[in-house]
Amino acid sequence: MRGTGGALVSIPAAEGHRSAPSRRRRMTQWAFGSAELVVALVIILFVLVGATQSAQFFDGLTWINILRNTVFVAIAGCFTTIVLVNGGLDLSIGSVFMAGAVGGAAVADAGYGNLLAFLAGIGIGAAVGLLNGLLINYAQMPAIIVTLGTLFAVRALAVTLTQGQPIGPLPNDFAAIGQSDFLGLPLLVYYALIIVVVAYLLLHRTMFGWNVRAIGGNRVAARSMGIRVNRVATSVYVLSGVSAALAGVLMASRLGAGDPTLGNGFELQVIAAAIIGGTSIYGAIGTVPGTVLGALLLSVLTTGLILLKVDPGLQNFAVGVVIIVAAGMDRARKARMFRTSTNVARERQGKKASDKDANR
Amino acid sequence: MNTSAVTPVERGLTPRSTGTYPVLELRDASKSFGHVVALNQVNLSVHAGEVLAVVGDNGAGKSTLVKVISGVHRPDMGELLVHGSRISPGHPTEARAQGISTVFQDLALVETLDVAANMFLGRQISRWGVFANRRRMIAEAEKTLRTYQGNVPSVRVAVGELSGGQRQSVAIARAIRENNPIVLMDEPTAALGVQETARVGSIINSLRAEGKAVVIVSHDLGFVFEHCDRIQVMRLGRSSATRDVRDTTREGVIGLITGAVPGDDTRDHRPRSGS
Repeated sequence: MRGTGGALVSIPAAEGHRSAPSRRRRMTQWAFGSAELVVALVIILFVLVGATQSAQFFDGLTWINILRNTVFVAIAGCFTTIVLVNGGLDLSIGSVFMAGAVGGAAVADAGYGNLLAFLAGIGIGAAVGLLNGLLINYAQMPAIIVTLGTLFAVRALAVTLTQGQPIGPLPNDFAAIGQSDFLGLPLLVYYALIIVVVAYLLLHRTMFGWNVRAIGGNRVAARSMGIRVNRVATSVYVLSGVSAALAGVLMASRLGAGDPTLGNGFELQVIAAAIIGGTSIYGAIGTVPGTVLGALLLSVLTTGLILLKVDPGLQNFAVGVVIIVAAGMDRARKARMFRTSTNVARERQGKKASDKDANR
Repeated sequence: MNTSAVTPVERGLTPRSTGTYPVLELRDASKSFGHVVALNQVNLSVHAGEVLAVVGDNGAGKSTLVKVISGVHRPDMGELLVHGSRISPGHPTEARAQGISTVFQDLALVETLDVAANMFLGRQISRWGVFANRRRMIAEAEKTLRTYQGNVPSVRVAVGELSGGQRQSVAIARAIRENNPIVLMDEPTAALGVQETARVGSIINSLRAEGKAVVIVSHDLGFVFEHCDRIQVMRLGRSSATRDVRDTTREGVIGLITGAVPGDDTRDHRPRSGS
């Protein structure tokens, strides 16, 4: 539906005889209606302008760095997008990310092998996600409160169990998973690509994804029409926990250690990436590619500002501005997309005015 | 997964060919929400090719009645029979599989999704069991809306962009598409213009002609007298009387609704205590 901003005008409503918008007008509406395109343009523009100041913007190594930094936010972000589209919110992913890293590291460190290390990390994520989902959907508690609670509790638990000390150095074969390259790119980028594609198919192509979107759009209607609302909305938190924990295990592998100080504020970066990519925190609207581009923009921005020698203290200022602009665009898109009463009134007035013009 | 799950249709029913039992029957159904007794031992029955109107004042229990039949709420007591056999839908999907289609008062549409997605809400057509077969759903939605003259510009338009009448068309077309023997409509003409109301009326007439059992909940007595065969009056959570439209008048029905005319149900009207 995104990108059909022009459709409002093209409905032959009761009044009939409304002319179709010109092709050019529809194109511009599509361009500004599509968050993905806007974010992509901003990235390109920023890189082009930056390149006039620093040649490193076109350096391959810079881009490998940018991509490597994007990976973790992108992996968790895809599934955060699904949570948001479902009308939920998961703040716990920062702690789950760390718990996954520490849990995976503990198992790898104990010599149980890579597979069990990943399964342990993912299991922790699934458990926290399930707890979140059950409390939110069956005990009907607010998502922001429940996941804020698990954000605190999970971190405290992990810090206590590790006594605040990183676990490592981890075995080489475990570290190789996150540190090796393939065809000049870090393996991490390939993993992220696979996970992003899976998330894309899940949200945009499966019946599950359409049910998620329906619940985010109108939970009551979804229930009336027979969608298993609680089941779907709970599984979404499990997926979110699993993805954050998986990102954490990969981070432990990349660093060669499981550090209980990891992931402070990770949840905010992930949610920021989703919002920048056009996901609405009110549910129903959002895309996986948008979030991936949002994560990329965050990464390009932080790396780019370093290259431009901007005071590091101002980096987060730039991020803050980008988030607010993105949220403003989301608001504007929605106002245009749906036939609210004010919209219809405005439309009618505009039409009358143009009729008068035509009669002159 | 389930486009063809909707075929309790051909259970050998032809218009007015009903045998001894009604297509849909509700016996002594009660439902409470906390201290509020929404339904108190309500009975209801509809035969094939018959349109039953359920009328009553606000809070009389009409919508709860619809929700009990459509599987949204499970009654605390009482039973629901379809074609004489007892069913106990705990979920709208189960009610639908048992042959009951519902147009909800709030229409149960998702404004952010397009018309095609709304037509298949909760019953998508799948590809390989997991993927949504959007192409087929779009084609089917177009076909359905053409049949019922939905007056909707395109099935790719978000429902949030449609007018009230167009939304109603989508909700009704969705219920009728299932081709179930029992159709429930909760306030199908609320917020509709004259022309749109007339179209809903003709849809109801054609459902009767096809031999469906139709239950209409409505405030609009003019509409009820024009399109329904029997009128069941709800009052304070009870079904106080049932009248054939030919044997009663508008004034009579209004009297039953307000309580000015005593109903047939002479049991104690105080909600029973306990629970």
